[in-house]
Amino acid sequence: MMISRFILAGVLAVVVVLGGTSTYMYLGSKQSRVAAPPEKPTAATPRAQATTLPGAIYLTQSGAIYRLSAGRFHQITPEAGWSQPSLAPNGSSLLAVKYGQYWSDVYVLSLFGTPTRQLTSNQARQGMNDPSLNHWSFFPRLSQDGGTLWMTYDGLKCDGCFDVSPAVYSMPFGGTIRQARAWTDGGYYSGGDQQPIPVPGGVIYTKYDYGSKYDAKAENKLVGMMWFSNRAGAYGRELTTPSEDCRTPSLSPAGNQLAMICTYGKQVSYLTIASWNGSTLGPRTTILTNQLVAQPTWAPDGSGIAYLAPAVPDGPFQLWWLPKAAYTAPPPSPPPTPTPGGPHNGPLPTPTPPPPIPPVKPIQLTTNNGFDATSPIAWLG
Amino acid sequence: MAGAFAYFLPAAKAAWDTTGAVVRVTPSPTDLFTTSPTATPSATPAAAITGAFTILLLGSDDDSKFYSDHVLTQSMILVRVVPSSKQVTMLSIPRDLYVHLSTGGFGKIDGAYSYGGAGAAIATVEQDFGVHVDDYIWVGLLGLIKLIDAIGGIDVVTSNPVLDDYYPADIYSSWPYGYERVAVLAGPQHLDGIHAMQYVRSRHGDLQSDLGRSQRQQQVLLAIRQKAKQLSPADLPAMSTAFGGELKTSIGLSKVAQLLPLAGSFDNPDAIRQIILASPYTHGGAPDGSLFANWDAILPLVHQYFP
Repeated sequence: MMISRFILAGVLAVVVVLGGTSTYMYLGSKQSRVAAPPEKPTAATPRAQATTLPGAIYLTQSGAIYRLSAGRFHQITPEAGWSQPSLAPNGSSLLAVKYGQYWSDVYVLSLFGTPTRQLTSNQARQGMNDPSLNHWSFFPRLSQDGGTLWMTYDGLKCDGCFDVSPAVYSMPFGGTIRQARAWTDGGYYSGGDQQPIPVPGGVIYTKYDYGSKYDAKAENKLVGMMWFSNRAGAYGRELTTPSEDCRTPSLSPAGNQLAMICTYGKQVSYLTIASWNGSTLGPRTTILTNQLVAQPTWAPDGSGIAYLAPAVPDGPFQLWWLPKAAYTAPPPSPPPTPTPGGPHNGPLPTPTPPPPIPPVKPIQLTTNNGFDATSPIAWLG
Repeated sequence: MAGAFAYFLPAAKAAWDTTGAVVRVTPSPTDLFTTSPTATPSATPAAAITGAFTILLLGSDDDSKFYSDHVLTQSMILVRVVPSSKQVTMLSIPRDLYVHLSTGGFGKIDGAYSYGGAGAAIATVEQDFGVHVDDYIWVGLLGLIKLIDAIGGIDVVTSNPVLDDYYPADIYSSWPYGYERVAVLAGPQHLDGIHAMQYVRSRHGDLQSDLGRSQRQQQVLLAIRQKAKQLSPADLPAMSTAFGGELKTSIGLSKVAQLLPLAGSFDNPDAIRQIILASPYTHGGAPDGSLFANWDAILPLVHQYFP
């Protein structure tokens, strides 16, 4: 009897170990969707929506640039640190940043991703013996005439200090960094001036700085502000307040509206639009408040705005499309038509209210990708 | 049943191995250095936690520059949870705060752990801030990176670009005294473990140095909490693996079971209060570059939110 108990205990122990191990391994292979890694955009998974956007959209995932055209993604660079694509004004080529180990450089690429020219050389000859001799170039843009390269560049670092606040620089396209001019001062231990957008008469950019420097009522913490500067070395001008905490400007094709995201100092990101008259921003219109919006980008034909946002709470960023009707006011209702049939003596009939216009909602274009939300989107019309 | 037991076995083992001697911090601080090797998870069903409680979160560099368990706690955050009102208060204690250490003498508060482990860190916080700490969680650098990767990354609106030319290259390097350049750009983004770590750890490019990164640490903590609400039990194996040797806590398994449903019910971000002890609560000029505490300002604040 005692022996059979021991046998039973042994058998049960084996069952526990085998059953437990297999359960553990099985469940371990069933990671929840939110913890699963994103797929490559070129993976043949069903799209969330069959909407096809006009032209070609360039965006980044895992160090590779992808082109979305005619509803299909094409990987145009290897996963090799590529990021932040922007288009030449004539649409004939791309600018993009390529990350090295401790630096980044701006390149010209063909529309199919072949590098044709390196515009900066930010790797220090000394390597990391003096880390500060290496540099970052971010957010490259070409001026409308194609003759000037705009970018964020950490060229104002002081000797023996730790400040790496980049400034907005311009340099002749095809020139050298020695010919570059700092348009802004980059601030002081603040994160600097980022994402320049050349506009007629100057440049719009995001300045990161302590809000209390500009507004006594603001908290003493780092925020983003839209700024405008009209000449190199000039002290720029605030376009948004510290409390709005706005960043990532995108100018509409007509040049009269600015899309941006504003966080109001919280872990939120509201898609916001304001009119732009060449020197000041008009009243803000908040378009989306229920998503973590990043990198709003106008369609070249003005038909809407593409942006990145998670599709599920706390998930990786997907591509979304917001048709123009979602942020333009509907036309005013027509006046009530007179009732035919001559004079009316009785009480007037109650006019039938027009049917409510259903709100236009954003359209999710991808489901399982993980686009780089710090990398702007380039859109070729 | 057998499967369920074995499923939680790695997590239980990891917790047991890493916690080892469970530090009991209730009811009396005098019990701080006693151990409870016989502590076992309760077999009774988990009852909901209704009373307020305070947890001390500790984060350390634990690379090869340090002797095992003699690390500095470069991140110290007191978290007060009030289940009845669903309020959470997070108070970051500057690592450079010059205080009376529970192990004797004065020094930077981040040294308390290196002199006497979690018990000494808790006792120092309790005696100087006049609070009662119910439990602690200590996480090493690599543990945080692996945890964030195991849960599939986190969404954070990084408040500002974090650029650092002298970020310590000590996690995956055989030479832990080198540097690397890091750049975490600003705005909403999905951070993996490495970039989340760079965001919360870098301080050279921030005018507020340690205070600035304390704000970023709170952002990331809240993002982890938010992401944890989305996870399923199927993610536990990866999480328990991530924490191997990189987590120590006084929270037993039975209490974890009580806390899990509670965590999911805190869904109002406005009910989370974040406190940073910048000026006028602290000011420079203390020995070895540490910060003097303005206790006349700190203690009323602490007593208000950590009664």
